[in-house]
Amino acid sequence: MNEFKMESKQYKVFYVFNIILLTAIGIVFLFPYLNIMAKAFNESADTALGGITIYPRKFTLENIRVVLIDPSIIRAFVISVLRVLIGTVIAVMIQFLAAYGLVKKGLRGKKGIIMFLMIPMFISGGIVPNYILYSKIGMLNNFMVYILPTAFSFYNMVVIRTYLTTIPESLKEAGRIDGAGELRIMWEIVVPLSLPIIATIALWTSVGYWNDWTTTLYYITNKKWYSLQYLLYSVIQESERIQSLMRDAIESGRDVTKIRVQTSPESLRAAQVVVTTLPILVAYPFLQKYFIKGIMIGSVKE
Amino acid sequence: MEAEKKKETLTQAIKKDSSYYLMILPALIFTLIFCYIPMLGIAMSFKDYDFVKGFWNSEWVGMKHFIEIFHIPMLQKAVLNTVYLNLLSLVICFTLPIVFALLINEVKNGIYKKTLQTVSYLPHFLSWISVVAMAYSIYAIDGPINHLRAVLFGIPWEERTMYMSLQSFFVPNYIFLSAWKEMGWDSIIYIAAISGIDQQLYEAARIDGASKLKQAWYITLPGIAPTIVILLILKFGSMFASNFELVYGMQNAYVEYDVISTLVYKNGIRDGQYSLATAINLFQSLISLALIFIANKISDKVNNVSLW
Repeated sequence: MNEFKMESKQYKVFYVFNIILLTAIGIVFLFPYLNIMAKAFNESADTALGGITIYPRKFTLENIRVVLIDPSIIRAFVISVLRVLIGTVIAVMIQFLAAYGLVKKGLRGKKGIIMFLMIPMFISGGIVPNYILYSKIGMLNNFMVYILPTAFSFYNMVVIRTYLTTIPESLKEAGRIDGAGELRIMWEIVVPLSLPIIATIALWTSVGYWNDWTTTLYYITNKKWYSLQYLLYSVIQESERIQSLMRDAIESGRDVTKIRVQTSPESLRAAQVVVTTLPILVAYPFLQKYFIKGIMIGSVKE
Repeated sequence: MEAEKKKETLTQAIKKDSSYYLMILPALIFTLIFCYIPMLGIAMSFKDYDFVKGFWNSEWVGMKHFIEIFHIPMLQKAVLNTVYLNLLSLVICFTLPIVFALLINEVKNGIYKKTLQTVSYLPHFLSWISVVAMAYSIYAIDGPINHLRAVLFGIPWEERTMYMSLQSFFVPNYIFLSAWKEMGWDSIIYIAAISGIDQQLYEAARIDGASKLKQAWYITLPGIAPTIVILLILKFGSMFASNFELVYGMQNAYVEYDVISTLVYKNGIRDGQYSLATAINLFQSLISLALIFIANKISDKVNNVSLW
C-alpha cells in the first residue's frame, strides 16, 4: 500500500479508471446469463411486457417445469448425457492406450505410426466424404455417429503421452520384476499415477461432446436422436420465425396484442437455455481448474 | 543372409512388444476408418458423384468442379466474407485479450482479480448455440436492449428492433459474440506469460524511477511479445477457416451471410451437390494448409520459433 502512495497521480487516475473499466467488462460478461436466468424464472406473459433485467419480476418455476416434462427435451437430454458418458469413456480409453503404447522406448516403427496418426490433423476429406462414408456404413441417424468418429484425438493423445513420459521407468521395471504383465503394470501402476491427466482429458472431451450440435445438424435427421444443443438450435429458429411473423403482422397494421401474450416464447426459450447450460455451470469449478492445467501442458512443446 | 536376419529380428521385435502394438491398434483402426477413408473421398471432387452409381462408378470429370468454383458468385462472396471476418477478428478479437491481460495485471486486490477472471472464463465453456440463444434473448423485442431504448428514448413498441434479424448487424454481432465468448479465456496465456517475466526487471526500472505505465510499456509488453507472435502466426494460418457454428447459428430467414464452410454444408449435405462441395472444401483446405506452412516458415525465420 505504501508503494501505491508513492506512485504518481497520473497512475492513480489510471488505476481508478482501470477498476471501473474492468468492472464494466465483468458486468458485460455476466449480464446475459443473469438476464436469461431472470427470464427463465419469470412468468411467461409478464416477460412479454419487457423490462426484465437481472431478477424475475413475477417468480415462477412453471417455465422450467414445462421444459423438464417435455418428452422431446427429456429424450434429447438423455441422448446428450449418454453421449458424454459413453463417448468420453471410449475416447479416453483409446487415447490413453495409444499414448501408453507410444511411450515405449525403441518400439519398431514408432515414427511411422505417429506420422500416420498425425497427418489427418492437417488434411481431411471434409464433411461431404464423411457424410457419404457414414451413409454407407449405416451411421446416419445412428447414435454411434456421436461416439465413433471423434473417439481418437491426436492432440489429446500427445498431451497424455507428454504426461506419461514423466512417470519414472523404474516403477514399471519393479512391476516387471514381480512378473506382472504389461496390462497389469499399466492398470495398477501407471493409471493411478495418471489420474490428473485422465481427468483433464475426460473433462475436455465431455465438454466438447456436451456442447456439440453440428454433428446432429450434419448427420441426424431423425428426431429420435436429436441432442439437447441441437434442440436449442431448432427452438431458436422456431421462435425467431414466430417473432418475425408477428413483426410483419404489426407492420401490416394488424392487432397482435392477443397473439403476443399467448405465443411469447421468451421465457420458455430462456428456460431451455438454462437447462442446456446448467451441467456446465455446475461443473464449472472443476472445468476451470483442469482446463487451465491443460492449456499449460498443451503449450509445452515436445 | 543379412536380410533374413533383419527380418527375423523384426518379427521378434513385434512379438516382444506385441502388447504395445495391440494398445495402439484401436487408434490406428479409428484413424484409418474415420480419417483416411474420407480422405480418399477427395477424389469425388474430380468426379460427378452420383449417389446411386456410387463412388467407383461415377464419371471422372477432371477439373470441371474446380473451374466451376470460380464462376459461382455466391462462392466468391463467401470467400470474401470469410477473409473479411477473419481480418476483423484479427484486429479486434486478437487484441482485446492482450489489453485485458495487461489491465488485469495492474489490479492489486487478489480477490477482485480472481473473481473477474472466473467471470470472464465462463462463456468459453458454453456452447456457441447457447451464446447465440442468449444474444437472441438480449436483443428480443421484449429484451433488455429494446427496453433500455424505450426508457431512454421513449421509442414505441412498434419501433422496437430485432437486431438479430438485421443484415447490417450481422458482422458486428459476430465480432461481439466471438469476443464475448473467448476474450477472457484467450487472455490466460498472456497472463501466464506476464507472470513469467523476471521480477528483477521491474525492480531495476523502479530504481531508475520508471512509472508503472512505463513499466507496462517497456517491460511487460516486450516480455509477452514472443507469445503474441506465436499466436498471431497461428491466427494467420487459420485465415481461411471460419467459425461455422457461430455463422450458421446466427443465420435466419432475414439474414444472409455465408462463409466458405456454410456454403460447403448447404451445397453438399443439404442440396446434395456432393462433388462441388467437396471441391470447395478441398480448395479451402489446400489454401489453409499453405498458409500454415508459410506462417511457420516466417516464424522460424523471424523468431526462431517453429510450431514443429
